[in-house]
Amino acid sequence: MSRIRRISQFAFLALFIFLFFKTTFPFESWIPVDLFLKADPLVAFATMISSREVISTLLLFSAFVLLLSVLVGRYFCGWVCPLGTCIDIGDHLHRLPKKNPTKSLRKYRIVKYTILVGVLFAAIFSVQLIWFFDPISLITRSFTVTIFPLFAFIVEGTLSFFIRIGLFEDSIFSIYDSLRGTIIPVESLFFRQSVFILVLFAIILLLGRFTRRFWCRYLCPLGALFAFFSKFRLSKRIVTDKCISCGKCYRECKMDAISEDFQNFSHSECIECMNCVTVCPTDAFQYSLKLRPTVEKIDFSRRRFIHSGLAGLLAVGATKTAFIDKEKSGTLIRPPGSLPENEFLDRCVRCHECIKICSTTGKYLQPAILEGGWEALLTPIGNPRFGYCEYDCNLCGLVCPTGAIHELTVEEKKKIPLGTAKFDKSRCIPWYKNEDCLVCEEHCPIADKAIKFDIRSVQVHDGSLREVKYPYVDEDLCVGCGICVAKCPLDGKAGIFLTNYRQERWIE
Amino acid sequence: MNRRDFLKKGFQISAASIAALNGYVPNLFARTESFYETRDLAYVTNGSPAEMVRKAVELMGGIGTYVKKGDIVAIKPNIGWARRPEQAADTNPEVVAAIIELCKSAGARKVKVFDNTCNEAKRCYRLSGIEKAAKEAGAEVSFVYSQKFKTVKIPQGSAIKSWEFYSDALDADVFINVPIAKHHSLTGLTMGIKNIMGILGGNRGQIHNNFDQKIAELNSIIRPQLTILDCVNIMLRNGPQGGNLDDIKNINTIIAGVDRVAVDSLGATMFGKQGSDIGHIREAHKIGLGEIDLSKANIKKYNFKA
Repeated sequence: MSRIRRISQFAFLALFIFLFFKTTFPFESWIPVDLFLKADPLVAFATMISSREVISTLLLFSAFVLLLSVLVGRYFCGWVCPLGTCIDIGDHLHRLPKKNPTKSLRKYRIVKYTILVGVLFAAIFSVQLIWFFDPISLITRSFTVTIFPLFAFIVEGTLSFFIRIGLFEDSIFSIYDSLRGTIIPVESLFFRQSVFILVLFAIILLLGRFTRRFWCRYLCPLGALFAFFSKFRLSKRIVTDKCISCGKCYRECKMDAISEDFQNFSHSECIECMNCVTVCPTDAFQYSLKLRPTVEKIDFSRRRFIHSGLAGLLAVGATKTAFIDKEKSGTLIRPPGSLPENEFLDRCVRCHECIKICSTTGKYLQPAILEGGWEALLTPIGNPRFGYCEYDCNLCGLVCPTGAIHELTVEEKKKIPLGTAKFDKSRCIPWYKNEDCLVCEEHCPIADKAIKFDIRSVQVHDGSLREVKYPYVDEDLCVGCGICVAKCPLDGKAGIFLTNYRQERWIE
Repeated sequence: MNRRDFLKKGFQISAASIAALNGYVPNLFARTESFYETRDLAYVTNGSPAEMVRKAVELMGGIGTYVKKGDIVAIKPNIGWARRPEQAADTNPEVVAAIIELCKSAGARKVKVFDNTCNEAKRCYRLSGIEKAAKEAGAEVSFVYSQKFKTVKIPQGSAIKSWEFYSDALDADVFINVPIAKHHSLTGLTMGIKNIMGILGGNRGQIHNNFDQKIAELNSIIRPQLTILDCVNIMLRNGPQGGNLDDIKNINTIIAGVDRVAVDSLGATMFGKQGSDIGHIREAHKIGLGEIDLSKANIKKYNFKA
């Protein structure tokens, strides 16, 4: 049984990675690249609570996933969750001795309920905190921002090494050619916050040094949600009198869900990994379907519930009262089709699907640091000095699972200004030293040119006259794509910058 | 010895000494000087892109004049922008494919197609239709590799002393430049000489400052054996990127030649201009890269509808 479970785990991890690689330009829209996020009931709950809207695209899969857990408990954690599988792989590498000296940790199981209640409370007050803890969002984000760039770096480094030492250069380049744009990016990827996100991910795996599935047992709020629904589950595992009390199942249990007398289970902890069934020498386990749900008390008192809620409220207060630097928030560019800022923040779960797909084309989107305040931490913002918004592209809206970025057609997208460019005449080459440049104008994708120029004759230092093309922004045409900033040849700060003046959000 | 010859000789001697110092022989010595002295230009009109290319090469002496059996050929179309073929911001894919097929038929060992793009490379290669057309014609199409750029000194340079060049272009036995003729806001027009931007690395925007002289000097590093100028659809306004189909004019013309300055000069006439109206063409002529005066050229015309 545990072998079948392992196959399922690897199949879902493979599916997750496949969908991750398919989050790319050219995009095949029939592939549901955000399937895991859409199937995540916690994402659905939290975004629907905080946005106070029924998001139909989130309902279908997540409802199915959740209802299935009423039947077979936390199967999702044990059989599906890609983060769970990564943790299992990590735990395997930690090689902890297989006994369960973790009884003393059992009291921390409630932490995950605390987190769940806290973030849902915060969601009631329209602060979206679920992104930090939701495992699917977390692993998608970690893959996008750190694991994939790291993987690409290693592949590129290996190939470059062979090229440098001149070994099989031709065949190495043909391998390189076939990998680029499919397995590895055309150009190396760089993301802000990548170290921070990598450290968080590494900590989750390293927690396995203490005990197996540490994250899933004690911290994961999605696990907590499934645990809560598992209370009502209809299938029940029974230990028959064949049991010889050898205790193998107790030692093999990943979740520490088996009682010391080996006769009982915590159904809210069990992730159906089937290790116990596999190791049992006498086949003492039996499954039975009961119409009357098992109701198991979760050790989560009313007092603790209130405390968790208050903690959530405190987080709401802390994020809502944090200072926002207007100089920075005024240059904050959101992806095209983003909802108005508050609604956007209600919905964005920081899965970074938009950032992933953007990195395969214009490389515009980056995780925010504090440009939009603490509430907007790690949300996608445009970084026009590093990349730009491809004029002919609407992919970020197509992959957003929660609708924080509305799905636009390319034609709609082309008309929505993300902001407006402004020249910094103290830096722009024609303006400050009366010499031609016009790189910005050349790259401006608007057919009628949002950057225009006047030709004026100026007298230069030696008394001669020189004709210079002085660029300026036609504000009626500028869509704030930022390519002018990205391509400005100046070192350091560009001679042109974006503000969110004229920024248009999607309003239903 | 007139000034032009003096510059030419001077350039050759200095280039040769630099090359010897680097232990590197650039491909411009793979041909005798007389090869480059032809005054022939091909001017073919009113056919399909592929048949015009074939005719133009035939008028220029046939592909065998340029590509020998076993050669590695580098073809440099303009794939700079994420635009579709009908928007004519990138070289016509049929033109590129026809050239590749000719090279293959002459026994080229490898035909490489690449461009250092302005928009994201994958998008440009795909939307322009060049990736597909070139691969089907049997070329190796790859995105540029940062590892393949090398810094080259520019012996003739006064505005620009050294720059990063793409080694696949420098090292090829035959380098064929396949620009598209377009309006360009900074330089007036962009054709063959300007198309060399696509084999340059580094912060290319910095070249745009004092552009005319810089691009001419950069051109002194690499000498295309053949320039085939795509004038099937030309962009009259809002270049080099365009976007409006109204800015595009279909004139169904292919121009080919060995002398890149002459090719660009003839190309300029498609826009009702002279080579000497365009700063960088003038500058290229001045430093001895070719002939700007079309009356000295031998233009071989062919009209498919005549």
